[in-house]
Amino acid sequence: MTHDAASVRALLGEILAALASASESDETRSLRERLERFVAHSDDALTSAVLLEASAAPLGAMRVFPKEARGLVGAKANAIKQAALAALAEEEQAALARALAAERSHAGFDATLPPPRQACGSLHPITQVTRELEDLFTSMGWTILDGPEVETEHFNFDALNISPDHPARDTMDTFWVRTAPGDTRLVMRTHTSPVQVRAMRRLQPPFRAIVPGKVFRNEALDASHEHTFHQMEGLVVGQHVSVGHLIAAMKTLLRGIFGREIEIRLRPGYFPFVEPGFELDARCPFCTEGCSVCKRSTWIELLPCGMVHPNVLKAGGIDPEQWTGFAFGLGLSRLVMLRFGIDDVRHLLAGDVRFLEQF
Amino acid sequence: MKISYRWLARHVDLSGTSAVDIARELTLSTAEVEGVERFLPHLCDVTVGHVVQREKHPDADKLSLCRVDVGQGEPLQIVCGAPNVRAGLKVVVATAGTTLPGDFKIKKSKIRGVESNGMICSERELGLGVEHDGIWELGENLTVGARLGAALGLEDWVIEIDNKSVTHRPDLWGHRGIAAELAAILRRPLLPLDLTLPSTGGGASVGVRIESDACSRYLALRVEGARATRSPLWLKSLLLAVGQRPIDLLVDLSNFVMLDLGQPNHLFDARRIGPQGIVVRKARAGETLKTLDEVERKLEASDLLICNGDEPVALAGIMGGEGSKVTDDTAQLVLEVAAFHAPTVRRTSARLGLRTDASARFEKTLDPELVPLAAAHLVRLLQAEQPAVKLTAPATDVGQWTSAAKTIRLRGERVRMLLGADLDDAAITDILVRLGFGVAKDGAGLAVRVPSIRGTKDISIEQDLVEEVGRIYRYGNIPEIPLAGILVPPPRDERRRLVRRIEDRLAGSARFHQQISYSFVPDSTIEKLALQSTPHVEVANPITEGASRVRRSVVVSLLPLLEPNRRRAAEVRLFEVGKGYEPVSAAEPTERHEVALALARPARKANARFDDTSLALLQGVVEDLVRSLGLEACSWSRCEAAPSWAHPGRAAALRIGARDALVGEVAAIEPGLARELGLAGEVESDVALARVSIDALLDAAPRARRYSPLPQFPSTRVDVALALPVERSAAEVMAALERCGKGLVRGLELFDVFSGERIGEGRRSLAWHVTLSAPDRTLNEADVKKFLERVEREAVQLGGELRGE
Repeated sequence: MTHDAASVRALLGEILAALASASESDETRSLRERLERFVAHSDDALTSAVLLEASAAPLGAMRVFPKEARGLVGAKANAIKQAALAALAEEEQAALARALAAERSHAGFDATLPPPRQACGSLHPITQVTRELEDLFTSMGWTILDGPEVETEHFNFDALNISPDHPARDTMDTFWVRTAPGDTRLVMRTHTSPVQVRAMRRLQPPFRAIVPGKVFRNEALDASHEHTFHQMEGLVVGQHVSVGHLIAAMKTLLRGIFGREIEIRLRPGYFPFVEPGFELDARCPFCTEGCSVCKRSTWIELLPCGMVHPNVLKAGGIDPEQWTGFAFGLGLSRLVMLRFGIDDVRHLLAGDVRFLEQF
Repeated sequence: MKISYRWLARHVDLSGTSAVDIARELTLSTAEVEGVERFLPHLCDVTVGHVVQREKHPDADKLSLCRVDVGQGEPLQIVCGAPNVRAGLKVVVATAGTTLPGDFKIKKSKIRGVESNGMICSERELGLGVEHDGIWELGENLTVGARLGAALGLEDWVIEIDNKSVTHRPDLWGHRGIAAELAAILRRPLLPLDLTLPSTGGGASVGVRIESDACSRYLALRVEGARATRSPLWLKSLLLAVGQRPIDLLVDLSNFVMLDLGQPNHLFDARRIGPQGIVVRKARAGETLKTLDEVERKLEASDLLICNGDEPVALAGIMGGEGSKVTDDTAQLVLEVAAFHAPTVRRTSARLGLRTDASARFEKTLDPELVPLAAAHLVRLLQAEQPAVKLTAPATDVGQWTSAAKTIRLRGERVRMLLGADLDDAAITDILVRLGFGVAKDGAGLAVRVPSIRGTKDISIEQDLVEEVGRIYRYGNIPEIPLAGILVPPPRDERRRLVRRIEDRLAGSARFHQQISYSFVPDSTIEKLALQSTPHVEVANPITEGASRVRRSVVVSLLPLLEPNRRRAAEVRLFEVGKGYEPVSAAEPTERHEVALALARPARKANARFDDTSLALLQGVVEDLVRSLGLEACSWSRCEAAPSWAHPGRAAALRIGARDALVGEVAAIEPGLARELGLAGEVESDVALARVSIDALLDAAPRARRYSPLPQFPSTRVDVALALPVERSAAEVMAALERCGKGLVRGLELFDVFSGERIGEGRRSLAWHVTLSAPDRTLNEADVKKFLERVEREAVQLGGELRGE
């Protein structure tokens, strides 16, 4: 059955004819008049309300038709009803499609309108880089250790083969803690290295450990010098540990930091607690021909390292004939600056939220 | 330390090796090179000229008009103002386009109307001297048109060595020591140098008495017939290259010997050394000495003095005295070469702030065997310049020094193991011999003879020799070896795990920014907290006055950050995880691990909700933090011992576990402190602060984490408001409500707090959402009614009433 307006109109015409042939009551007359009015005025856009009325009224008022006409009227009216419902459903579908099309229209949307800002917190960049390194080293079986910022002279110097007359004590620009004469002499630790000997006394060799932490040097502040900064000490003690192992470990460290193979070189460096001692340079990760970071040399002086001095092993209660080891001291603050391109070390500890929220 | 390439070439053949090559070789095997620079680069731009004609300038009496042949085309017309210019002279010409020291660009110009195409130079204009008595008269034999640098052999490069990288190598503080390294690296011989003292006459030697063991060797030598003349060009140019200002031959040679052999020395005017001779002694407190720089130095008993009899004439190893210095009319000298106790020199030099080239070397512990060698070197150089110089008396060479030479056993096996390099004993021996060590077989190992110059400080044990081998072998030749071993997970680090969770929670859902602060607290903050009399760990030498104390608690570090950050943002949320230190008499200080939090927001509005305070919010943050850590239950109570930063009445203590251990405090800021910190006016703030002890959290037992079955029956929510005396704490009320529920209370949520006339004087109303449910049935109206009746009775018992439901 088709449901277009023309077929509905045709059906209505048949009903009207049936009504005309029947004896007219008041009810059938009024019905007929309404239908005639409808047929006269209706256009192709039939409204569901009119159709329903046109179709439902005869059904409810079947008894006004003469008996002989009831069958035809009923059938026709039912057909109209079906047609009307179908047309209605179609119309609803179309209306939904129109509504969806309107909803899908992108008019008025500006993707660049800034969304409301979601406030958030942040981890300090030093924390972030420290964690990366901690994760890297713990994944290789290294232990993470902690040590006091206020350290004894013994651990900071003596146990590290830095005798009282050693000029390194001057060059390290030490903050000395006021103590009563005769009391344990204390310093603000000048490096994380004192934890080397503390670790040796606590752990049984073989072991591998890193020690991230804050260190202090009595230096004047400028864009690249801070009196308080962060270091990460590394220490491996084992049997037959050699310079070759140190080189491999440092290359692994740099791969972890920069995410790719970085060429390194070791050159002599002097630190009383290692022998031999080295400065480790990394090929500048930011250039190939020299830039401001590497001071045009293509090498970045990255960390001091070396084979643990036998006197240090002895201070830690370890027999240097049986065990050897290597140690390194990574400048975490400097690494953080390299990583994020921070140009002034003083930002790191200044506590300006505009700085902190960038990370 | 500056090293001259040309100077090095006096000691080792450098043909085919550039200054840049040397810098690289030294960097990889010996010491850090900071840079290489050309010495007076313009010496290679100026040329040797010949004055072929000289006339008077037509318009100026003092100017000459010269025609100067510079070996190219027609002679140049040059106007010259020097009185000594004359035809026939060989001179130095800077032609147009040349740049002389001081960024002085030579251009074609007109001088008093006459064209001048360059400049005839004096030594001073070339940066080679201070004399300015006219133009430089060059030797007749120089080729016209030659570049001056090449013609006079003045081309040089300056290699800057990082002093810090050679603090352990006293032997490298002179050119010969560096040359010896290069000889070893480049496999070339170190050129011989005659360091024997020429024969002396039989006159009376200088008397020397050493009264302090801070001087192990003292050599004094009479030198007669020397004159303080101008130094020759070779000497001046080498000294200039390494940054020394030439003075006169005597001073310059003294410096030259120090920079050549690394051994400082001193020349006295012999007229100032009396018949009592030289006495080396410690100073007496209160004694003074005017040093060469004309500063009156106050001495202490630890300083070492050189005295003429009893009268101080020099500060040993640091600087001579003004009174005994060599002057223009000095003809008789006393040469001092000595070995002094390094720490004595270092301490005096540091105390007086008087660092000299001599002190820098003495504090490295010099080899006492260098003493006679340096004396001989100086005398021989002096006699080469002034053949009339005579040694009229034998040298006095006294003291109780010991040679630092020694023999160390070296196992090839140990070298191979420590370096991880496959070097046989022959290769090891080769390297050590190149470095000047004596090597002999010693059973399975090697007996290595260390010369005194390497033995004072640097080389004392086997491992030191391993370094010698490794650095010449080159660390770059060592293959990398991965660490191997049985991998066991490192022991669980509970504190680090806890700290990470804390940091993540606070930076994450709590939206706080992590700060890391200095451990020092400014005195100004201490004063604002009125903690001046509380003992702190304190440094004796702070970076600036008033920054000597180390924080006891991390919270104080956040205080000074509030005001500046509040000026930039309405809300400031900061936390720091760190350590605080409390001094303990005669022992290491107690270390505390803490989390500090600070929340600052604009001052509270009058109609703000009861829980819209920074304090309430921060309590919520801290409670959530502790709860998230999965520890035992915690509870709030009034803080009885409020920290100095806390408002005395608005401070809450958080306690945890069965033992009620104190975890920390959360409090509104102390109102006086807020004003002191500048949190007033437009940045007047509602500030809450918190301290959470990581140590206490670590001590707390973890909460058993178990699943609880989901409720099967719906719950019922009842709202009750109780008007009670203000003394009744919320904790009491919550306990009462729990009691009334008889096990049915599933949740208690405070949704309003108010007081006022309607509630009555001294009372407040607490309104709660109470969630009731039973595990086995749906609650009905009768249950709720019974609950409310009990609440009503409890309220009366607590001294108040149930206001509504």
